[in-house]
Amino acid sequence: MSVHEKVKKILLVDDDIDLLEQHTILLKSKGYEIITAENVEDGWNEFKKEKPDAAILDLIMEEHDSGFILCHRIKRDPYGKNIPVFLLTSATYLTGYKFGSSTSEEKEWIKCDAVLNKPIVFEELLKKLEHFFETVA
Amino acid sequence: MENHKPHVLIVDDERGLRLGTKRLLESEGFYAEAAENGTEGIRLAKMNEFDLAIIDLRMPDIDGIQVLKEIRKANPNTVCFIATAYASYDTAIESTKLGAYSYIPKPFTPDELLLQLRKGYEKRLLILEAERLRKEREERLLEIAYEKTRLKTIIDSITEGALVVNKTGELVLYNSSALKYLDLHEIFIGDVILEILPDEITQIIKKFIDSETYIPNSYSTQIELKPNKELVIEATCSPVPHADGSLAGVVTVIRNITESVKVEAIKSQFVSMVAHELKTPIAAVIGFLKIILDNEVNVSPEQQKDFLERSYTRLQNLVVMVNDLLDISRMELKKTQREIKELEISQTVRSIIEFLELELHKKKITVNFHIDSPGTKLKADQNEINRLFTNILSNAVKYNKDNGSIDISISSSGNYIITRISDTGIGMTKEEKSRLFQEFYRVKNDKTRGISGTGLGLSIVKRIVDSYAGKIEVESKSGEGTTFSVYLPLSINKQSGIAS
Repeated sequence: MSVHEKVKKILLVDDDIDLLEQHTILLKSKGYEIITAENVEDGWNEFKKEKPDAAILDLIMEEHDSGFILCHRIKRDPYGKNIPVFLLTSATYLTGYKFGSSTSEEKEWIKCDAVLNKPIVFEELLKKLEHFFETVA
Repeated sequence: MENHKPHVLIVDDERGLRLGTKRLLESEGFYAEAAENGTEGIRLAKMNEFDLAIIDLRMPDIDGIQVLKEIRKANPNTVCFIATAYASYDTAIESTKLGAYSYIPKPFTPDELLLQLRKGYEKRLLILEAERLRKEREERLLEIAYEKTRLKTIIDSITEGALVVNKTGELVLYNSSALKYLDLHEIFIGDVILEILPDEITQIIKKFIDSETYIPNSYSTQIELKPNKELVIEATCSPVPHADGSLAGVVTVIRNITESVKVEAIKSQFVSMVAHELKTPIAAVIGFLKIILDNEVNVSPEQQKDFLERSYTRLQNLVVMVNDLLDISRMELKKTQREIKELEISQTVRSIIEFLELELHKKKITVNFHIDSPGTKLKADQNEINRLFTNILSNAVKYNKDNGSIDISISSSGNYIITRISDTGIGMTKEEKSRLFQEFYRVKNDKTRGISGTGLGLSIVKRIVDSYAGKIEVESKSGEGTTFSVYLPLSINKQSGIAS
């Protein structure tokens, strides 16, 4: 990130406070500003208030599909539809829950920009974020 | 004639001839009865079945033709002879038309008579043999008919669907289960069933029918007939051979596998949930270690220590979870080793409270006992009852507020011993309550944020209570507290899995 650019603000939503803190530390170390929330409602309120440049949501929180629901709401929002939304999940596709965001059908109903498996490879998350910010800029 | 004396009826109004003939026949190994007129002859013939009858044509009361008719009517297999001195071609024809075997002109010599009677008796034996064979055949046909009905009954009563088609694809045989599992309203024998059957089955049957050589294999396929796993069947098609080894038709056996498919789905969903629950703490620990090891990320020594401690807690929790899972798996397999003996719930509960003393003290929670029926004993496995109440009581401590209280009451009512455990904790909403016993379900809100747990404790409680044929009730008010009521039967039914 160059000094001329505005600092990018990222919304993290995860009900696991350990992971939330880790991701916060890691992203902050890369120069991002971080807002956190631990559930769908708080996440939505923070999104409306803070207007982040990207959102990273855990999939399974209060419900098995909490991340989908929040993602859907953000993507329907006039502001939110233009920001990248990533879903994090440790539900493994080998055991039944199989999804991704690679095919057009999956993009159609998941409406997120990437699905990352936990434990996430932080460099991968970072690369995806940067890629989005570069293309938008 | 060796073992059976042929029975002969002599009907003649001429006394000398009648008695002479009787004597002659008896000396020749016959059994003979004589009637002096037509009426008497008919009467005797109706009483017993004679092998042979000699009927005089002209008698004062009834003429011989009439007597013949009556005898034949009573016993159609009696071989009858018409005897007369007034022999005429016409009466001979008429009498044989009416069923007489032969015609004996009077006067006759003993040899002539015996020759005729012996021939007649042979005829009689042939008739009887034919009759026997006819009856036997009829019985066999009846038996086959029974056999068919029996087979039909058997096929109808099997829960699996069965359906047989011939080489041209026409329906030959089916049972009602086949109709049900194929979700068909009606089919008829002779229908070209291949057009009606699901494609998957038709394909297999066609493979057999269209093949030039006989295929001795069976093929199975699974078909979801109604979406959302509402009806899933497994169809197995096998060839039915003729005696010469060529294909006669194809039998399809249809099994309803909906339930097992559903169980499979639940199982795989459970495995997926387990994987998720196991991966989450691992991900947290990996994350902490990564941060500590990452030179580009600045964390203070205090933070590092905090992260290591949190990693430790999560790994400890992971071990508890793995143990819980192993317990559940053992319970599912019903492999739990049980030692059933008499125990007092009040004692068990008191020792658990002692065990929890440190945490109770930390949160300044008071415990109140109300024991209505002291000394009431329960027959159960001590470890399981410990586990049951430890899980409930540790929740009552964990989710209680500081300076709160726990009320424990034990009473017996009817066949149950009832243990009520009330806390003054955070309580639950209706929705949260309904999911309480679900595996891995944990109420997640601000108040539960710092409380660790596996989400398996109450699911284990439920399994233990169920295995003793007991029941558990929960009352809860959000913000006020929760009451668990555990009903355990005083006399335990020997349920599956309980080894005494």
